[in-house]
Amino acid sequence: MSVVAVQDVSKTFGTGHTAVAAVEHVSLTVDAGDIVLVMGPSGSGKTTLLSMIGTLMRPTGGRILIAGRDTADLGPSQLSAMRLREFGFVFQTFNLLSALTAEENVMMPLIAAGAGRKQARMKARAALEQLQLGHRLRSLPRDLSGGEKQRVAIARSLANEPRLILADEPTANLDGKTGRDVTLLLCQTACIENRAVIIVSHDQRLRVAAKRVVTIEDGRLTAEEPGEHDQHCRMHAPEPRSHENDR
Amino acid sequence: MLFLALKNLVQEKTRLLISVGGVAFSVLLIMSIQGLYQGWSNKIGEYIRTVPADYWITQTGATDMFHTPSVLPLTVGERIATVDGVAAAKPFSGRRVAFEHNGRDINLYVIADDTENNVGAPARVVEGKPVPGKGEIIIDRVVARSENLRIGDSIPLAGRTLKVAGYSEGGYILSFSFAFTTKEDAESILQLPGATNFFLVTVKAGSNAGDVAERIEADPAVDAITKDRFVENNTNIVRDTFLPIILVLLLIGIAVGMTVIGLTIFTSTIEKAREYGVLKAIGVTNLQLYAVVVEQAITAAVLGYLLGAGLALAVSAAAGSYVPEFITEIRWWDAGWIFAVTVAMAVVSSLLPVRRLARIDPAEVFRS
Repeated sequence: MSVVAVQDVSKTFGTGHTAVAAVEHVSLTVDAGDIVLVMGPSGSGKTTLLSMIGTLMRPTGGRILIAGRDTADLGPSQLSAMRLREFGFVFQTFNLLSALTAEENVMMPLIAAGAGRKQARMKARAALEQLQLGHRLRSLPRDLSGGEKQRVAIARSLANEPRLILADEPTANLDGKTGRDVTLLLCQTACIENRAVIIVSHDQRLRVAAKRVVTIEDGRLTAEEPGEHDQHCRMHAPEPRSHENDR
Repeated sequence: MLFLALKNLVQEKTRLLISVGGVAFSVLLIMSIQGLYQGWSNKIGEYIRTVPADYWITQTGATDMFHTPSVLPLTVGERIATVDGVAAAKPFSGRRVAFEHNGRDINLYVIADDTENNVGAPARVVEGKPVPGKGEIIIDRVVARSENLRIGDSIPLAGRTLKVAGYSEGGYILSFSFAFTTKEDAESILQLPGATNFFLVTVKAGSNAGDVAERIEADPAVDAITKDRFVENNTNIVRDTFLPIILVLLLIGIAVGMTVIGLTIFTSTIEKAREYGVLKAIGVTNLQLYAVVVEQAITAAVLGYLLGAGLALAVSAAAGSYVPEFITEIRWWDAGWIFAVTVAMAVVSSLLPVRRLARIDPAEVFRS
């Protein structure tokens, strides 16, 4: 079963003569371990597509299935629970909570999902150490560099061991090398843990992190081609373990 | 999510200080006013509680010592003493008398200290003579301090001059205070030949007090009022006079507290709207976010309460020593309900920020 199945999905904003079709008849399937890079120019509809897959926006046409469940059948609280447990989000502007330390930012989704503080702290610490941020546990976001912030955001996105990671322009606020390193780190981590990743970006350099690259223009998928992930990640990645076994 | 609420609060220390300060001011206001109300209510009843009587017998229609004058012929007492079940019926004389001191009118409620019948003595004499002699008067310490009246000073009262012989406690009642003279001096000042104001009745052991009261009230000229009821009737003077004012001040205090918490939490919520959007996006439920906002408000309110309650105690003690009339009593019960009001204030003032929170669209987080 696919982690994500986007079936003929459309999204139109407004009605009548002011209606704007942001996404039109898009179909896409993402399996466990897949790393899909969605590319396209600004205003092409890629972020709208990501928002719909992330259940933050409802499509006006078509269906989106997450692990076989039609998101249209779910209410707001069920969608919240799905986002908390099934998805990890990585944002362009990091979106860390400014009052919390790096460790506490990673603890947030764990606590929201019902973990005790002690357990959440242990998991957050382990995740940050894995991303070479063990020395930054007590740092506030304002004291972290852009790359460090994005690594904290990645740790947060992985905290609840989601099936799917959704990354929106993860390199836009990072310099070239840091952006590439951070994205590779995200993809390697996802690859090791057999999680699906969808990255939305117009940064061509991210092709090295993707297994598939799809192009969206004027709301329509216009091309799909293989990425360069295998060339760059295989040497770092051990045998993927089954995601089903994590749960 | 309490840790997020605490972190958010601590992050903005100035705003936290404003929140806590606003609530503290509100609690200080509410607690001081309530303390004054309680203190005055208690003071007004304090002396009456010490008077040994099961029933106060008044002229029909008189329900307390202050509103309606009660004048009863001494013969009424003799009659009551013969009622079945009455152990004793002793006359109690007293009424308000004013005198001028340093250009100010001072009101006393002069009571005849009838040593023969053991009626009308001060509740507690704290300095000077315990019993007034001829031409002497014992005044309350509060009025002595506020009017700078010392032992040995002379007071002109109803055409007579009495010398201050001592200070008593427990007899200060807002605009006037109890004072005690000999029975003879009181008769001269109060002008009650062959009469008194009340009779204090004690009921024989084993007699049914209610039945005794009914028998006394067979005389249409008198009412028999239980001691507790009589205390309450007198205490109600404070309630009737001050309760509406106190209620208004309490509402102002609550409004101040709610406004300050509400505004500070609301501005904090607006400033953090994006972060709340992020939390919504990653799957934190609206309910969990509401809890964060409410916890922030309650935490600020509890801190404000602790500061305000501490200030109220300190202000009461300090003000009481400089302004003798500032008599406060802050009871645990009052501290408890004011705490509950403070928490309720925090919860209600969170409603506006919570409404704002509900409208945050998590999809906004994808806009940079």
